[in-house]
Amino acid sequence: MINQHPLITMSAIREDRLDILKTRLETIRINLLNSQMAEAPTEFGKVSTLHYGRWVILSRESFRDEPAVPVGIRLVLTTNYDGIGNNHCDYHLTELVTKLTTYIDDVYECCAGYPEPGERTEESRKNFLKKGIINTSAFYNGAPGRSVGQIHQEDALHQHIWNFLQNNKWSETTPAVEIHRAIRQEIDSRPEFDWSKEKAGVQGIKWPELIAYGLLFIVMLPLIILWVIYLFLFHELWDKKVTLSQSELDDAKINELKKVEDLFPQNQFTQVAVLKPGFARKLNFRIWMLRTRVLASYVFVKGKLLNIPTIHFARWVLIDNNKHVLFYSNFDGNWEQYLGDFIDQSGWGLTAIFCNTVKFPRTNFMGVLGMIPGMPMHFPGTKFVLTGGAYDEEHFLAWSRSTQFPTQVWYCPYRHLSIKNVNNNTMIRNELREDLTEEQAQLFLKRF
Amino acid sequence: MTALELSEIQAYLLSDYKEMGYSKYYLMQVKDAAATKSFLAAIAHGITHAEATITNTCLNIGFTSNGLKQLGYNETNMHSFSREFREGMVTAHRQRLLGNFESSDPSNWQWGGPANDRIDLILMVFGKDEATAESFYSELEQKFESALSVVHTLDGKAMPNNREHFGFRDGISQPVIKGSGLPASGNNNDIEPGEFVLGYKNEYSVYPDTALLKIAQGKPELLEDNPEGRADEQTKVKYKDVGQNGTYFVLMQLQQNVDGFWEFMKKQSAETDEKKRNEEATALAAKMMGRWPGGAPLVKYDKDPGVEVADDNFNYLKEDSLGNKCPFGAHIRRMNPRDVFEESPQKVSLSLTRRHRIMRRVRSYGEDFIGSAENHKPGGEVGLLFGCFNANISKQFEFLQYTWGNSPKFKRLYADPDPLIGVREDPENKLGQIFTIPQATTNRVITGMQSFVKVKGGAYFFFPSITAIKFLATI
Repeated sequence: MINQHPLITMSAIREDRLDILKTRLETIRINLLNSQMAEAPTEFGKVSTLHYGRWVILSRESFRDEPAVPVGIRLVLTTNYDGIGNNHCDYHLTELVTKLTTYIDDVYECCAGYPEPGERTEESRKNFLKKGIINTSAFYNGAPGRSVGQIHQEDALHQHIWNFLQNNKWSETTPAVEIHRAIRQEIDSRPEFDWSKEKAGVQGIKWPELIAYGLLFIVMLPLIILWVIYLFLFHELWDKKVTLSQSELDDAKINELKKVEDLFPQNQFTQVAVLKPGFARKLNFRIWMLRTRVLASYVFVKGKLLNIPTIHFARWVLIDNNKHVLFYSNFDGNWEQYLGDFIDQSGWGLTAIFCNTVKFPRTNFMGVLGMIPGMPMHFPGTKFVLTGGAYDEEHFLAWSRSTQFPTQVWYCPYRHLSIKNVNNNTMIRNELREDLTEEQAQLFLKRF
Repeated sequence: MTALELSEIQAYLLSDYKEMGYSKYYLMQVKDAAATKSFLAAIAHGITHAEATITNTCLNIGFTSNGLKQLGYNETNMHSFSREFREGMVTAHRQRLLGNFESSDPSNWQWGGPANDRIDLILMVFGKDEATAESFYSELEQKFESALSVVHTLDGKAMPNNREHFGFRDGISQPVIKGSGLPASGNNNDIEPGEFVLGYKNEYSVYPDTALLKIAQGKPELLEDNPEGRADEQTKVKYKDVGQNGTYFVLMQLQQNVDGFWEFMKKQSAETDEKKRNEEATALAAKMMGRWPGGAPLVKYDKDPGVEVADDNFNYLKEDSLGNKCPFGAHIRRMNPRDVFEESPQKVSLSLTRRHRIMRRVRSYGEDFIGSAENHKPGGEVGLLFGCFNANISKQFEFLQYTWGNSPKFKRLYADPDPLIGVREDPENKLGQIFTIPQATTNRVITGMQSFVKVKGGAYFFFPSITAIKFLATI
């Protein structure tokens, strides 16, 4: 099983070359879009380890709120990649600078410190990118263990079986197990699907780690309660009410974001927020990052992040001396659905993380009461349950849109597959090799 | 429960006016702003509100954002209307969301498109029959002749048994607004007022974005303060709320290709016997709709009962979690997934569904023709005047059209748009456009899905409260 990893590298843009850089990124974006629309191979597709990737320009303009420290104009490259070999990051960077050499040179010669034309080698390019690498605080993968190659293979398998089912007439009385067997025979007769004879590794929930986490949580509970009360009394109560609504957002900015949205049924989201001042809020944010990191690798391994079933990859990254946070997501459907899912499925989880950033809609107990299973949205006569924060729908959506900033180039390697399709295709591959009961075989056939 | 201020709310939101056999929607342009405002002042008391006794006629009015600008609505104030309303139905992004391409492209529209005359407001005239509607309109016409000109007229009617032209009973599952005084519907159809009326709390228990009056103009004293308590930061004076008791209305003219629809269904059948073939075509059309022509839900009726059954009392989890009765891709299952949405628990599914409802207000145009597998050649153009009310166009109408309608990735599906409202003429997809019908063993798949509905015009309107109409007359 190949694991997926996040890469993020940040470089200072030379101010005198900013306009050139913007033009070049736009050209890359248009070329990519045109190739994808024509279903033609893309430059990015040559990087065998690359899932999603994007370039964004991060500057003062990207921030809705006053940054906590002065920020320059930076180019941020993020990729989600397949970890191959012992030094997987190095392997991936080698692929990037050798397969995308022209793009890398075009883009990074607009950044400070990039090697001069005569000094550009695989090593010097890699070293430049390495210098800008920062740590990802929490990382989520909707299909753990699935490499880009595997996702494409399993897609082809699904399509082949789908066609096979269409091209054969099955009588209504044919048992499902028989059809299942016929499919297996068909696939076995095709050498191009030899790889499917080996079952795919699928990560399950890691129970021992999860139980250890649960025990630790119980042991820590008194401390956690004290911590929540402290934050409530000395921080949350003093938060100002936020009333910014969606209609009040800047039209030009929203239109710039929408220009590249909904071109096909997947979208990207890039956001930057400023952490609230003071040690307590920063510590609280890091506690939640730790928790998200733990759960993302032990529990959110079956295609759902905090119950949200539409995310391929997501990450949180602390930058600028841990004073600002970047949030990235690659998801199915459109912005409205995505944010709606966030509120409906895990408003409290989101509230707990983002309430530590400035001008987030006012919260009640930082959303943590949502950790108690079965908690209703509100008790009669009290507002201190699941209200405020992300549940303050109108103001939350406005917060979310206004802290989002434009993505210059976005690469999506399998734009015709939803994350549910990706996971379903793996199940098809694995169940194909199992001896199923009639009932199981019926459910197997429902996957097409 | 907060009671709605019924005497302030335009009645079409709360009543489908089915007793009004005939309707005429006048799409109009402001010729003279001052004269238009006098007209508004003169008719404000005559606008049918939800407490009015309905006799032979009804009258309702809505404005586009252009219309408000023509009246002199302040630019800053304008900005507190929702973005969807301000931008209108025709923007590049919205075209993608709504899927208005090929022959539904706004450049081909008969009204509301970039090549058509600007629309400022809609005057909706209803009568128990055509003559009543006409004579009521003639009376009105004298009052606005100098103020407004008619750009386009849309005649509509209520067809027998609420059928639409394809032949299906329509409008069975409708939300009931809590606090409206109407009998509760049960079955998850009772919805918080803020989903449909501005100035009330919605299903998230918060107020929807509303049109605040940030710069005083006209006679603001007519209006109430906004209920959320939003105030000017310096003066701490609360903003007046133009949106209170108002709502947004979506209107689209949808031409229906009834012959194409039924021919397509019949082509999918291998039967040579005509009667059996028609039965199979009807059964397939019902799979796409999720109900039999008379309205009987597939979840409860595996055979066509052949009679009118306006039954909305069913769910999916216990009855049909695998979609063997009603396919996941069926129109009614997409537009209202009830208690099975994705893999969410039942309670979450139900609450999620309640956040994406619309109040449908649909009338038919063209010949009084109810299609069927046997009879599907209407005389001349027929179609729907699709209308719906919602407090948040983006979260409700546009969400339904895009995320649950057009997106081929609904649930775990791969390439299945909504068979009735989501199919493109020229799709961009490896698998093409299909309709998957879950069966006991292998799914049945209908390939090469075709679009049988063409958009011929559309616009977003603001439907102000009676008081807000009086206020607009003073700006």
